[in-house]
Amino acid sequence: MNMYLHELKSLRKATIIWTCAIIALAVIYFSVYTGIAKDAADFKALLSGYPASIRAMLGISLDNITTILGFYSMIFSFITLCGAIQAMNYGTSILSKESRERTADFLLVKPVSRSAIVSSKLLAALTMLLATDVLYYAGASIVANAVKTSAYSNKLFFMISLTLLFNQLIFLAIGVVVSVIIPKLKSMLPVSLGVVFGFYILGAVIATGENDTVRFISPFKYFNLPYILNNESYETPYLIAGAIIVVVAIAASYIIYVKKDIHAVS
Amino acid sequence: MNLFLRELKANRKALIIWSVCMFLLVLSGMGKYTAYSSGGQSNAVFNDLPHSVKALLGMGSFDVTTMSGYYAMLFLYIEIAVAIHAALLGSGIIAKEERDKTTEFLMIKPVSRNSIITFKLLAALINIVILNIVTLVSSIIMVAAYNKGNDISGEIALFMLSMFIVQLIFLSLGAALAAFMKNPESSGSLATGILLIAFVISKITDLTGRVNVLNVLSPFKYFSYTDIVNGNGLSIVIVILSLVLVAAFSISTYLSYTKRDLHV
Repeated sequence: MNMYLHELKSLRKATIIWTCAIIALAVIYFSVYTGIAKDAADFKALLSGYPASIRAMLGISLDNITTILGFYSMIFSFITLCGAIQAMNYGTSILSKESRERTADFLLVKPVSRSAIVSSKLLAALTMLLATDVLYYAGASIVANAVKTSAYSNKLFFMISLTLLFNQLIFLAIGVVVSVIIPKLKSMLPVSLGVVFGFYILGAVIATGENDTVRFISPFKYFNLPYILNNESYETPYLIAGAIIVVVAIAASYIIYVKKDIHAVS
Repeated sequence: MNLFLRELKANRKALIIWSVCMFLLVLSGMGKYTAYSSGGQSNAVFNDLPHSVKALLGMGSFDVTTMSGYYAMLFLYIEIAVAIHAALLGSGIIAKEERDKTTEFLMIKPVSRNSIITFKLLAALINIVILNIVTLVSSIIMVAAYNKGNDISGEIALFMLSMFIVQLIFLSLGAALAAFMKNPESSGSLATGILLIAFVISKITDLTGRVNVLNVLSPFKYFSYTDIVNGNGLSIVIVILSLVLVAAFSISTYLSYTKRDLHV
């Protein structure tokens, strides 16, 4: 319990900064929405004149774009990017922090098992991510309600926002397992940023179709937002893939950390 | 001189990894070009989209069915990647000493702090030049492989030149932050945070033309890609102003580092 509370306190400042940043991002994007809505409404009238194949190519996403949910799904990728960086930072730093800041021998001679240490740290990171997401959801809902032009489904809004949590879980797990595998992590920032941006750019550049196996490469593409809007559910194969990644990564980090040689002074 | 060679060697592995990643990025980006250029009718559709919708889809104001327009769209992602590299490199190369507890060893050597910074920044400069050249060469090769229209190597060179200036800006920004801050390890996060803000600003000003004044804050927007795509080249005024910014950051690096108390 002690460790959990201590980790919570040490993550507090970072979490406040990240929460404010993500909410500010959402607020800024929504404030741009009213101008977009007007433009897109004009275009939708134009679009109805095009042949069906062209509309099929662009139409699925563009039909929704005038609604606030469609706009939300468009801007949400940037919000997910920030959330993923936050989660990855937490994941890579929370275990390697001991080695980097030379507190490893202090912690490891305490009469607690290593798995208990990993559990409390993971739980603390998880709590902070949940707190960020809850506050973000509250903030985003308020702003979305303020700028909406027509009523939208709260359930769909919630489902889209929930994918933020899913992505964060995946990246937290990846971060933790990366931090225990790589022996000497002098600075975890290049690693975490590189991985997150790498996946983001990969996802943006590669994934095109709906059922590509290519989509499995980048966690950012696991949740296809137009699909969620149309079908009110997540795509099961990708949900399962994400869950598998989280479970395997966390299990691996437990196993590795328990057996690993930790340098007292590296 | 020793310092310079040592820094080059220390950054070698990271540079190789980044070069490979940039090559793969350009490769995969170009691979998607056929999807955009194939449909003949889609030409008109893309062009008729209202500006804000195109910005949301990431296309901005380019004609993505031509190679140069598509490359302009892809270019933003390339630029972010190298900007992150430059920012982390700049802040890392200065903060590295205090992070790895090698400050004392370095400072008692009979070299002035000024020359230490000079050599470190020079090594970082070589790194970003190499990365830039790798991106330039891979872009030219990949574009030639997929291009069906005019040769745009000249425009690619201009893009790379503007990217080089952006790299310089972020490199000197990272170095200045690391030299200035009392806790230099967090300079990396701060430099990246500033970079992310600049990226978000560039996306927002894409969306709505009304807040274009914010473009001052985002180095990604200093050079107008539409001008480059249309063959107008880079604006000399902006180039000079950017170089002045780089010089300002570099000078503040020197000044801060020589005056700051370093943690041993």
